Amino acid sequence: MVSKILAKTLLASCAVVVLSGTALAQEFDYGSFPDYTLKVKLIGGTQYEKLYTRIPEWEAMTGAKVEIVSSKNHFDLDREIKQDIATGQISWCVGSNHTSFAPQYGDLYIDLKEMIPAEELAKYVPGTLAASEVDGRLVQLPRVTDVSNIYYRKDIYEDPDNMKAYKEKFGTDLAPAKTFDELKQQIIFLADPPNLYGTAFAGKDEGMSGRFMEILRANGGDLFDENWKPIFNSPEGVAALEWFKEIYDAGAVPAGTVNYTWDDIGQAMAAGQLAIDLDWPGFAGFYSDPSASKISDVLGFAVSPVGSAGVRGGWSGSHSFSVTQACDNKEAAVSFAVFLTNDESEMMEAEAGNLPTRSKTFDEVIKYFNENNKPALAEMFPIWQASLADARTPPLIPQWIEVSNILWPQLQAAIVGEKTPQEALDKAAADATVIMEDAGLL
Amino acid sequence: MPHDKGRNRIGAFMRSPAATPYLLLLPAALVILSVVLLPLLVSFWTSFTSYNLTRPATLFNFIGLRNYQRLMGNTDFWWAFGRTIIFITIALNLEMLLGLGLALLVNKITWGQRTLRTIMMFPMMFSPILVGFQFKYVFNDSIGLVNNALFDLGLIKQPIAWLVDGNLANFSIIFAEIWMSTSIFAILLLAGLMALPKEPIEAARVDGCNPLQVFRHITLPFLMPFVYIAMTIRSLDVARAYDMVRIMTNGGPAGRTELIWTLMTRTGYQNSQMGMANAMGYVSIILSIVFTFYFYKKLVSARTFMGGAQ
Repeated sequence: MVSKILAKTLLASCAVVVLSGTALAQEFDYGSFPDYTLKVKLIGGTQYEKLYTRIPEWEAMTGAKVEIVSSKNHFDLDREIKQDIATGQISWCVGSNHTSFAPQYGDLYIDLKEMIPAEELAKYVPGTLAASEVDGRLVQLPRVTDVSNIYYRKDIYEDPDNMKAYKEKFGTDLAPAKTFDELKQQIIFLADPPNLYGTAFAGKDEGMSGRFMEILRANGGDLFDENWKPIFNSPEGVAALEWFKEIYDAGAVPAGTVNYTWDDIGQAMAAGQLAIDLDWPGFAGFYSDPSASKISDVLGFAVSPVGSAGVRGGWSGSHSFSVTQACDNKEAAVSFAVFLTNDESEMMEAEAGNLPTRSKTFDEVIKYFNENNKPALAEMFPIWQASLADARTPPLIPQWIEVSNILWPQLQAAIVGEKTPQEALDKAAADATVIMEDAGLL
Repeated sequence: MPHDKGRNRIGAFMRSPAATPYLLLLPAALVILSVVLLPLLVSFWTSFTSYNLTRPATLFNFIGLRNYQRLMGNTDFWWAFGRTIIFITIALNLEMLLGLGLALLVNKITWGQRTLRTIMMFPMMFSPILVGFQFKYVFNDSIGLVNNALFDLGLIKQPIAWLVDGNLANFSIIFAEIWMSTSIFAILLLAGLMALPKEPIEAARVDGCNPLQVFRHITLPFLMPFVYIAMTIRSLDVARAYDMVRIMTNGGPAGRTELIWTLMTRTGYQNSQMGMANAMGYVSIILSIVFTFYFYKKLVSARTFMGGAQ
């Protein structure tokens, strides 16, 4: 009997050793790089820099030093990186990147799949990781993901007068919109300018092109066909553009929205000037903070609406870190990139309200928000996580930003009434065709 | 051996005292050639290529005049070109008039002039990006300072879309530009006023000239060289406004505030089409040459009028 128990105990302890051995094998080895100085170019700005407070931990762990050779906003950083490529001066190892920018940089960055064990990569959200690839190469490790869903003001939606009037007018209850048509209807219905607007949208730069792309895809259309021919001047595209035009013409959005960028919209929503905001997860922390926002106690969340095709557009993208081909110590660079996106780093990002890129973090952060009296953020996370299933990036081709730059001025022209939506989209499609022809894709 | 003879002659010249000025100027000439002429030649070459910033090999992809041919038929470019001329003309003239007014007022002050001169320089110390953010907020249609003031005064019932309407958006940008750069004119003209000899003015007063006549016939002619110097400097430096326009409208909406600088930078850096952007640059250089030539000619004639040129 005793021997049986002994044998069982031995077997059990062996199993524990094997299990812990497996667990140990799955831990990423950050390596040791004493006296090495790792040069990095990182995106700057308050919301991004908190993560960098973890850099001393990595330095202590590996013995290396980190030198931040550049810290700029993403557009300036993009410009600087392009200048580095042009002059062949790639003297740095790790750079901040973004899924929308990554395809432009050619073979500047290494394929991280060759350097990071598959079991480590398996810890990232699969869809997010897949969207980080360019031509089958994993050129970046995603840091935070963006996908937009609805923020709305519960006080407006639960106001008895609004509820009654909406029911009388449309025959349905006033509840967060399920379709883009319903969303348009609510934006126009709830607007009471100049004190309250239905919503606002980013009306210039990639913000405009991206939102258009989202509704276009939700309507069943797309930017390009399978041969890279621009097809966004389709009826689905015209309908998507008319969506913007109708809420603009109705005065349901601030007239200046065609010049707005994310920060303008965030400020307007937090100031209580908008009823609805279709936006990134990053604003949840700001909107739910009573010291910065007037709507902290009435903030509601809902999943993004579907278009006429019954699907979500799911415009998505991720901030990320990449490692250069020219780096003189790729092991250290990869170690740094993994460290800044590991479980602890992702938890830090998620606690600030950002959408993390590691699967495990979602459950942990919801628990954290509940324990730390942040019910709004605990409510927001499952909604944003659910919408990741439909997330799609803009086309991962180097020409995307260029196409976007000819698209958004034409979208603006239609919205402000200089052209009809069809004329504007036809012009943009013609210009985009030239870009694709020049690139040899057509 | 004519070749050796020529070499000997050059060698002899280099050792002679006559060569000293050239030898002394040589380092400066070399530096200027390497930092000015070389980049100019390279950028001129790229305007005949399909040079893409992220694909360095395209630097040698010669496409002849294709970039220039495309530009000739590009209506967006020519609109931006024309708008830039109007922008420069209006902004510089208004800055000059306001700067002159400011300089004349400050020149009258006898106590605290130094402090005032320092304060006057504050706007030009701001980075144009900050000025852009500042005026983007000032002219914001829903939370902006101007609209809020107009609402509070009961002058408007609906917000004015300052940065959307074509005329108002261009007005807002010119306003911000004038705010930022008028002090440059004021400082330069103030320097002119301070150097103004007192005798002719006193003589004119004794002869019975009123203040307007003194200004018209003595102060202004004396100041004109300073005006043209300021104009020349500002016409070359006005592209500093790029950052401001980038933040306020980025050329939009629908290209209504597109200036040659926003278009060029978007083409060169965001779209990476540096060959095309440089072609735009070389076409727009015509602008700078015309303005500089005009102001320089005016400067010379003003100095001749004063008797200062000789």
